[in-house]
Amino acid sequence: MTGLPLPDTSDPRPVPLPDEVSRFYWEGATAERLLVQRCRSCRQFQYPPDVCCVHCQGDDFDLTAVSGRGHLYSFTLVDRPLHEGFIDAVPYVVALVELVEQPGLLLLTNIVETQPNSELRCGMPVEVVFEKRGDIRVPQFRRTEADS
Amino acid sequence: MTSLTRDVAIVGVGFSPFARAGEPNPRALTLTAVRDALADAGLRGKDIEGIFEYKFGPESPGAQDVARMIGSPDLAAFADIMPTNPSGLGGALAAVMAVASGTCETALTFRCLTRASGSTGGVAGGPREVGGRGQYLTPYGALGGILVEMALKKQRWMAEYGRPESDFGHIAVNARRWAALNPRACLREPITMDDYLGSRAIAAPLRLLDCDYPVNGAVATIVTTAERARDLRQQPVLIDAMTYGTGPAPDWTFHPDYLYGGTLGCANRLWQRASVTLDDVDLAQLYDGFTSVTISWIEALGACGRGEFADWVGDGSRLGPGGDFPMNTGGGQLAEGRLHGISLLNEAVQQLRGTCAERQVPDAQVALVASGLYQQCATMLLTAA
Repeated sequence: MTGLPLPDTSDPRPVPLPDEVSRFYWEGATAERLLVQRCRSCRQFQYPPDVCCVHCQGDDFDLTAVSGRGHLYSFTLVDRPLHEGFIDAVPYVVALVELVEQPGLLLLTNIVETQPNSELRCGMPVEVVFEKRGDIRVPQFRRTEADS
Repeated sequence: MTSLTRDVAIVGVGFSPFARAGEPNPRALTLTAVRDALADAGLRGKDIEGIFEYKFGPESPGAQDVARMIGSPDLAAFADIMPTNPSGLGGALAAVMAVASGTCETALTFRCLTRASGSTGGVAGGPREVGGRGQYLTPYGALGGILVEMALKKQRWMAEYGRPESDFGHIAVNARRWAALNPRACLREPITMDDYLGSRAIAAPLRLLDCDYPVNGAVATIVTTAERARDLRQQPVLIDAMTYGTGPAPDWTFHPDYLYGGTLGCANRLWQRASVTLDDVDLAQLYDGFTSVTISWIEALGACGRGEFADWVGDGSRLGPGGDFPMNTGGGQLAEGRLHGISLLNEAVQQLRGTCAERQVPDAQVALVASGLYQQCATMLLTAA
C-alpha cells in the first residue's frame, strides 16, 4: 500500500531557476529528455550548459538528446541536513555520473530509488530518471543492471 | 628596457593568538597579527605602502581598513583578493609581485578568519529558486560549503587508485605529531591511525579528521626588496620562485583534471623556474584544508608518482620530526588551526630563520609552500638568505 502523493508545494527542496543558457536543459528534463550541449565546431559535449564551448571556444551548439546512461564517478552519503530544504530529505546520496557519450562528461545528481546505505561503488552503471520537483522535473540517476 | 623585476624577501611574520572559543573582534585580531609582524620586522605602520587581503568572509577587514588602523600614509598598492584565489597565499603572491615590480617597496598581507565565516557547519538557508552555477548543484543538496565536494574528491581518489583510507590518515596523524611541538597550535593531543579511521563521517567517506580545524585568528606577513631586507631586524628569507595554477577549464565541481586540478601545472612551472630541486627542499608546508588536498600536492610536486603515495609514505614517519620529508611542521590547518594557508607560509619563514625551537628542522635552508586546492593553486619556494 502506498500513501497519497504529497502535493508539490510540500517539497521544500530548492528548484533551479533557469536562465537563457540553461532553459533548454530544464525544459528538456521536464519533457523527460536529457539534452546536452554539443559543440558544432569540435563535436564535444559539455555540461553544465555554458555561453561558449570550453573545449574549443566555439559559440554554436546542437542541443543533443543523450542516452541517459552512465557510470557512477563518485558519490557521498549526506546524512545531516546542510540546507533547510533538505531537513526531511536526509539521508541522501550526492553523486557525479560520467555519461557514456564522452569520457569526463560529468553531471552532478542524486542516486535515487536506492537505499542510501546500500552498497554503491564507483563504476556502477546508472541511468537517468526524471523526478518531479514543483512544476518541473529534474534529472536524477538510479542504479541499473545493464552495463551497455 | 624597464626594470620590473626585483628580488623580494619576507622580513616579518606575525600572529594573533589562535582560539576555538570566544566572540572575537576580527579587526582587533587583525591588528594584533599585523603589529606582531611589524615588530618582528622592525618596521612601523608608516613603512607599509602595499596591503593585500585575502577576503573570504565579510568580517575580515579590508586593505584600506588596515591602512587606517596602522597609519599607513598612502597605499601605493592594494587589493582585497577574492576567495577564488589560491587560498591565503594569494595575498602573499600579490604582495611579492607588487614589490618585485616596483609598484611599492614594502607590502603587507594578512588573513583574519573567525568561526563565523563561511559555511563551516550547521544548516544553511537560502532562496528556494537557485540560479547561476548553483542551479546545477543546490537542487541536489550539494551544498554546505565545501564538504560535499571534498567527500566526492576523497571517494574518487580511493576508487581511481584503490587508495586505502589510511593514506589520508597519515596526513591527519602527522599534523598532530608536529602540533604537539607548537605552542600556537590548537589541537596538540596526538592521534593514532585508529583514531582517524574511527572518527565520525561528515559526509561519508569524508571524516571529521580529514577536515581542518576552524579557529579564530589572524596571521600577517611583510615583504620588501631583498636589498632593503638586509637592513632590517630579521635574517631575510628570499623568494626563489612562485607559481599559480588552475589546470584546464577550471571548475570547482566539473574540473577535467578531477583529482589534481591546478597542482600539476603549478608544480611543473615551479621546478622550471626554481634555482633548486625537490631534493634540495628541507621542509614542506602543503595545504591541508582537507587531507586529500595534501596528497594531491605531494604527488604533483614529484615526491612520488601519481597514485604512489601509499608506498612512498610508508608508516608516515618520514613526514614527521626527524623524517626525510618534514611536512606541515607547525601542525598545519588540521591541528594548528585553519588560517587558510598563510600560517603555513609563516611557519616556513620561521623554520628558515631557525627559530622553531622544539620543532626546528635542523639546518633548514630551503622550504616549499603550496597553497590552495584543485582549481585554485599556488606555490612559493623560499630560501634562507
